[in-house]
Amino acid sequence: MSVSNLLENWSEFRHFHPVDDVPHNPYKWAMSIDLDACSGCNACSVACYAENNLPVVGKEKYAHGHSMHWMRIERYWDEDGRDFPDQGAQFLPMMCQQCEAAPCETVCPVGATNHTPDGINSQIYNRCIGSRYCEANCPYKVRYFNWYDYPTTDNVWPAEMNQQLNPDVTVRGKGVMEKCTFCIQRVTVAKNNAKSQGRLVHDGDVQTACQQACPTSAISFGNLVDPASKVHRQWQAQQVELDKDAQTKDKANDKEEGGGSELRGYRIFEELRPYPSVMYLERVRESAV
Amino acid sequence: MKDIREDIAWAKINKDVLKSLENPRKLYWVILLIAIAMVGVAVGCEVYQYNTGMGVSNKNNTHVWGLYIATFIFWIGMSHSGTLLSAILHLMHADWRKPIYRFAEAMTTFSLMTAGLFVAVHLGRVWQIYYAIPYPNGRGVWPNFQSPLLWDAMAIFTYLSSSILFLYVGMIPDLAICRDNMNPGWRKKLYTALSLGWEGTDRQWRNFRVTYLTIACFLIPLAVSVHSIVASDFAMSQQPGWHITSFPPYFVAGALYSGCAAIITLFIILRYVFKFEEYMTLSILKKIVRLTFAIAMVWTYLNLIEYASVWYGHDQASKDVLIQKAIGPYAPFWWAMNFCGTIVPFILFFKRFQTHIPVLFAVSLLLNLGMWLERWMIVAPTFSHGYYPWTWDHDQWPSLVQWGIVFGSFGWFTLLFMVFCKVFPSVSMYEVKEMVYHRSQATKKLEATGKMAAAGKGAH
Amino acid sequence: MSKRHLLALFTNFDEAEAVVKELRGVNLKGFDANKDMIVKSPIEHPEVEEFLGDRPVRVQWFTLGGALSGGLLAFFLISGSQANFFAQLKGGKPIVPFPPNFVLTYEMFILGGVYISVLGFLICAGLPARRSPLYSAKVSEDQIGILVQSDEASSGTLKAIFTKHRALEIQEEAGK
Repeated sequence: MSVSNLLENWSEFRHFHPVDDVPHNPYKWAMSIDLDACSGCNACSVACYAENNLPVVGKEKYAHGHSMHWMRIERYWDEDGRDFPDQGAQFLPMMCQQCEAAPCETVCPVGATNHTPDGINSQIYNRCIGSRYCEANCPYKVRYFNWYDYPTTDNVWPAEMNQQLNPDVTVRGKGVMEKCTFCIQRVTVAKNNAKSQGRLVHDGDVQTACQQACPTSAISFGNLVDPASKVHRQWQAQQVELDKDAQTKDKANDKEEGGGSELRGYRIFEELRPYPSVMYLERVRESAV
Repeated sequence: MKDIREDIAWAKINKDVLKSLENPRKLYWVILLIAIAMVGVAVGCEVYQYNTGMGVSNKNNTHVWGLYIATFIFWIGMSHSGTLLSAILHLMHADWRKPIYRFAEAMTTFSLMTAGLFVAVHLGRVWQIYYAIPYPNGRGVWPNFQSPLLWDAMAIFTYLSSSILFLYVGMIPDLAICRDNMNPGWRKKLYTALSLGWEGTDRQWRNFRVTYLTIACFLIPLAVSVHSIVASDFAMSQQPGWHITSFPPYFVAGALYSGCAAIITLFIILRYVFKFEEYMTLSILKKIVRLTFAIAMVWTYLNLIEYASVWYGHDQASKDVLIQKAIGPYAPFWWAMNFCGTIVPFILFFKRFQTHIPVLFAVSLLLNLGMWLERWMIVAPTFSHGYYPWTWDHDQWPSLVQWGIVFGSFGWFTLLFMVFCKVFPSVSMYEVKEMVYHRSQATKKLEATGKMAAAGKGAH
Repeated sequence: MSKRHLLALFTNFDEAEAVVKELRGVNLKGFDANKDMIVKSPIEHPEVEEFLGDRPVRVQWFTLGGALSGGLLAFFLISGSQANFFAQLKGGKPIVPFPPNFVLTYEMFILGGVYISVLGFLICAGLPARRSPLYSAKVSEDQIGILVQSDEASSGTLKAIFTKHRALEIQEEAGK
C-alpha cells in the first residue's frame, strides 16, 4: 500500500518547503509583535502559564535553568556607559517561532515534532522519548524539557490549585519536551466552530492567550494567507515575506549610506533560514526613563 | 626484535592459550567484584534518575546534553580498534595483528554494548525507547529517518551485530581447539555447541577464508560510516562549534586513536596476566605504539584544522565558541584535552619509551582521558555560548549522578571483558600458528637461497 | 562390501601433499580420490588448495544478493514509511528526502551483505556439521589428517601408502 502510494505521489513527496508555488491553504498561523508597544509587563507570560498548564518550578530550579516559560520576556541593555546602567532595558517577548523549516523537526528520532498543514510546529507529547535533540538544534532555545515530574512535585499545583488547570491541554509528566503551540487548542476550537457554520475562521475569532492578555495589544495573531487579517496586513506593510531568508527591502537598502530600511518589521535569525512565522516590529522610541 | 619466534611448536601455542581458560586466581574474583560494584553504582544512579527525572543529572535548558552523549561517543570510538586490527590490517596483510586482534575484536563488541546503554540512559523516557525501532504498528507511525540520532540507532545495531558475527565466525576454529582439549563439563558442552562441528576440512577452510575476507571488506566502510554518522549528530545541526564539515573524519580519527590507546592498555594487562610474552611480543607492541603515534598526528592535524578554519572563517558565532572553549568555564578541560591528545603522544616518538611498559601503560590511559575530554568539550561549550545571547553566561556542571553512571560504565566494560577472557581464548590460536608457519617458511627460503649463494660463491 | 573409514595423521604439508598425489594416482575399486578423501588441517593452507585443485567457493554470490536486497529493502521501507498515511513535513525538507535515505540504505546494504555472507558461509561450508566417524584432536593442534573412505578390501593398500609416507598415526573404524 505504502510503496504504491509513494510512487504515485512522488513529486509531491519530493517538494521542498516553503516555496511560492505551493502556498498555505486555507490557513497559515502567524504572529507579529510590536516591540514599541511592549512594556515588558510579563502579562503574556503569566497568561501562557495559566492557559497551557505550565508548572511554576520555583526559585531554585528557575535559577538552575529549569524554567518552563513558553513565552519569556528577555531584557537587553545597551552597554553605553550611561549613568544608571539598569535603566533603559529593551524587552523581547520570545516564544517558539513556528519555523516553516524548523531545525527541530528534522532531528527528533521518533518524529514527535512535525509541521502541520496550518503552518504550526506540532509537538506530540506522547510520542516524545526525551532525547532533547530538538532543543539542542533550536537556534532560539525556545523549547523546554520537563526535567522533573511536576504533576507529582510539591508546591507546583497544590490541592485546589489543580482545579485551575486547563482541561483542553495535557498536563505533561517527566521526560517530555514542550514549547509554545500558538494555543493550538484555541485554534482547533475556532476551526471547529467555523466548520460547523460552514465558513473559515475569521480574523479575531481566535486569540492566543498572550495576545488576549497583552494590555497594549502589542501581539497580533491570525491567518497570514487571509488578506483581511491584521497579521497579513502588518506583514505586507512591513514588506516581510515568509519564504525569504533576507527580505528584499533590506537587500535593496544595504547599498545606501546608513543601510537598512525605514520599515520596522524583521524576523530573528532569518539568515539561518528556519523561516520563522513571527515578525517583530522594531522599537522606535528612545528610552525615556 | 622479532614479531614472533618462528620455532614455537604449535602444540605449545595451544597449551599456552588454553591455560588462560583455567580456573581463575583469587585476584580475578576480587577485580570482578569491584567491577560489579561499579556497575551497581551506575544502576543505582540510573534508578534514581528514572524515578525522579532527568533533572537530577544537573542538565538544564540550554545544556540539554551532557556526559551521557559524550561518553556514548567515547565508547563508540573505542570500538573502532577491533575493526582496525581485524579488518584493515588483515587487508594489508599485516601479520603482526594476529596475536592481538581477538581481544581487540572483543573490546569492540563490549564497547558497543556499553555505548548502547548510554543511549538508553540519556533518554528522558527510556520506557518508550522502542518507538525508535521501525516496527509495523496499527497507527502507521514510523521513526523519523531524517534524524541523525536514528541513523545512530541503525548504524550501531548494524555494527554491533556485524562485530559479534565477525568475532564469532573468526573464533570457530579456536572453539574447535577448545572443544578438543577440554574435560567433560559445561565448557566442553559450550564449545561443542559453538564450534558447529568444525573439523578443519578443506571445504571448511576455503569458505572460511573467503567469508572472513568478505566481511572484513564490509566492516571497514561500516566502521567509518558508523562514526561518521555519530559525528553527524553534531555536524548536521546548525549550532556554532558543531556545524563543521570535518567532523566525520575528525571523529573517525579520534575513534581509531582511542581504540589504539585502549589496545595498548589491554595488551599490557593481558600479556602480564596470562604470561603471553611469546605471542604479544615487544616487537608487536612497538608496532602498535607507532601506529598510535601516527593516528595521534592525524587527529592533531584534524583538530588544528578545525580551529584554523573557524578562526579564518567569517562566522562570528563559531569564533565565539572557540574563544569560549579556550578561556571560558570549561577552559581547564579543553586545555587538558589538547595536552593529552597532542603533546602526550610525543612520548611515543622516542625509541626508549616505545617498549617501556610502565610508561606505555600510563600514556595509553592519558590518551584515552584526552579522547574522553574531547567528546565532552564538543558537547558542552556550544551550549554555553550558542547563537542566542539570552542563553549565555551560565555555568553547568554534571552532577554526581552523571559521574556515577559514567564511572559504572567502565565497570560494565571490565566485567564483560573479564568474563570473555576466561570463557573464550583471547589469543587466536590458529592465526598465531599461521604466523609461525609462514615465518618458518620464509626463514627456510632465506636459508636455502643463502646456502645456494654461499655455494655459488664457494664454487668460484 | 561395506565402506570403512581410515584416518592418517602427518606432521607437515609436504608429506600430506605426497600422499594426496599418490592417492589420486592409485586405482582402487570403490575409492574415488575426489569424493572419498578429505584433508583436515589446523590452519588455512593455500598450498593444499593448490594440490587439491580448484574448488569453487560460492560465498560471495550470497554476499552480492544479500547486500543488494538489503539496500533495496531499506530504501523502499524507509521511503514507504515516510510516504505513508501520516506523511508530514519535517524541517522544510521534502517528505521523502534523499540524503538521510541514502545513509540508511548504505547501512542496510552493509547489514544485508554481512548477514547473508555469514549465512552463505554456513551453507557452503556445511556447518553445523555432523562429526566424522574418525577424528583426532591432533588435527586441531599441529597435525594434518587425511580421512579416506573405501571398501574393506582396499584398506590394506591405503594403509601401506600411509605408512610409506611416514604417517604418525593411523586410525581405523571398528568393524560393524
